[in-house]
Amino acid sequence: MRKADQITGIVMLVFSLIVAYTSWQMPQRVEFGPGMGFLPFWLAVLMAVLSVLLLFDATMRKSASAGKPFPTSQALRNVGMVIAGLGVYIAVLDTVGFAVSTVLYVVYLLAIVQNERWLKSAVISLLSTGGLYVVFQVLLEVKLPQNIFGF
Amino acid sequence: MEIIQHLITGFEIALSLKNLLFCFMGVTLGTLIGVLPGIGPVTGVAILIPITFGLDATTAIITMAGVYYGAMYGGSTTSILLNVPGESSSVMTTLDGYQMALKGRAGPALGMAAISSFIAGTFSIIMLSWIAPVLADFAVAFGPPEYFALTFMGLTLVTGLAGDSLIKGIMSGVFGLLLACVGVDAISGSPRFIFGSIYLLDGVGFIGVAVGLFALAEVLVNIEEPLKQVFVNTKLSMKSLFPNRQDWKDSVGALWRGSILGFFVGVLPGAGATVASFLSYATEKKLSKHPEKFGTGVIEGVAGPEGANNSAAGGAMVPLLTLGIPGSGTTAVLMGALLIHGIRPGPLLFQEHPEVVWGLIASMYIGNVLLLILNLPLVGLWVSFLKVPYKILMPLIITISAVGVFATDNNIFDMWIMFGAGIVGYVMRKLDFPAAPVVLALVLGPMVERSLRQSLTISHGDISIFFTRPISAVLTTFALLSLFAPLVRKFWKTYRRAKME
Repeated sequence: MRKADQITGIVMLVFSLIVAYTSWQMPQRVEFGPGMGFLPFWLAVLMAVLSVLLLFDATMRKSASAGKPFPTSQALRNVGMVIAGLGVYIAVLDTVGFAVSTVLYVVYLLAIVQNERWLKSAVISLLSTGGLYVVFQVLLEVKLPQNIFGF
Repeated sequence: MEIIQHLITGFEIALSLKNLLFCFMGVTLGTLIGVLPGIGPVTGVAILIPITFGLDATTAIITMAGVYYGAMYGGSTTSILLNVPGESSSVMTTLDGYQMALKGRAGPALGMAAISSFIAGTFSIIMLSWIAPVLADFAVAFGPPEYFALTFMGLTLVTGLAGDSLIKGIMSGVFGLLLACVGVDAISGSPRFIFGSIYLLDGVGFIGVAVGLFALAEVLVNIEEPLKQVFVNTKLSMKSLFPNRQDWKDSVGALWRGSILGFFVGVLPGAGATVASFLSYATEKKLSKHPEKFGTGVIEGVAGPEGANNSAAGGAMVPLLTLGIPGSGTTAVLMGALLIHGIRPGPLLFQEHPEVVWGLIASMYIGNVLLLILNLPLVGLWVSFLKVPYKILMPLIITISAVGVFATDNNIFDMWIMFGAGIVGYVMRKLDFPAAPVVLALVLGPMVERSLRQSLTISHGDISIFFTRPISAVLTTFALLSLFAPLVRKFWKTYRRAKME
């Protein structure tokens, strides 16, 4: 945890300095009171102080072992695959359409990410996509994204 | 007897067929979410915002509140049968509940959990009905400095109590406030931090952030390692669920103490249902004639905490409705939902939208009755839901979240916000940063900024305005003290340890 906290402290320090710089360029005072740069600037200053405190606290800490262990490579693989798949899903949703992309994404999550059997995955995927379609498109009258073929 | 009159109006609203139906849906879904480990009430409420978006505000909030207190009921089932808490608020129930199940007394444990939830839940709604209007009347006269002090106190209490590290809690809160600054500045009307994107003019979408930080991040943490589930197989007949005379005698004290304790802990921002159940268990153990038996399957160890967490859920509605200060992640999401419907919780809510407040309060009385019915005779049904593996649940949670976020505004950009918030939320969990302060600060941010700037405008930039007006002075001082409380506790511990050695 120590190393993780040190890195977080540095990253957040850089982040808060950028925010502080950006908001310093905004009006700090207007005619009758604080301007729109006022709050973000002071928040960024506070964040910078906290980042330094975190960095300091982590470096001074006696034991390096306390806290959660780093995720295993298997865990990271699972998390990475779910996220990557979701990114692709959102990116293609508008062109491929809700129906096709959702069926494919759910099959991917079940069969590839979690090693479920293909047939079972396909059935669950079709059922859940159908369910979502009924709830959102039919009952809630949301216009879900369609592809050029209209589904 | 004005309150009785309000309540009657409330019941007229809550008993309409539509509201009754949605209340039923809310508490059913809440029970389900409570039963399933790996999906909590915050996630449930967050996913429901987009789904209930098209309904009118009263029906929407009735449904979402139903999920919140319904989850308090469901959580105990999993704790008792699986030794896995369905929710963090039912952690204490695992201690004696599961032991009871191992001894073949799962029936009375489940029964007592449902009954004490019902009694304590109803007690806290009665308290809510009487206290909330009084508090709202008192708070009507608040000006900008009082509001700033109030929101500031809400933020410090939640950040101070969330997570283990004070620094990380505050950092989460400050991060949320910075997120709230994105978009058009409400006072000057000029945009800031929008990075040239027109989608950010309205600010960072609350729904996307809430669903990402809670629902998506929760899925990502759970997917790391598959959950292991070990069942206690028991036959549950209706008759076996009823606690016997001795059980009642053992539980009565724990139940009423848990109810009262839970309500007041719930009212306090930052504490909430989990802390309430914790305190109740500790209290019962301390007061018991046989504390050594706790953890071996004593029924008062189930009745107390289960009562306390339900009572706390009702208590948490008090600051939310009367002051507009949510005390936890779940109530922050509820508040965000109300704001999306154009309803601002706070002292004026009781005058401006009595139908929402009293409809909601009345629906909670009804919801608790529905929950008792759902959780006693139908407990077997919920147990069978536990057999659905998380493997299959996981894709459902992700797709419902993603499509739901899209559905609120027919906007793919909101899905990207959810995506980003999900990754940030996962990293935050890994690094022990609490997520609740971010959402809370995002919801309260605009109010914090407006009241701060208005106050400083009134006082010509003099910060002492927060300390010279009596109410605001008390609140600000309390807020500052609460920030230092963990430090004092830490020093006290080291001091005592040093003294003992």
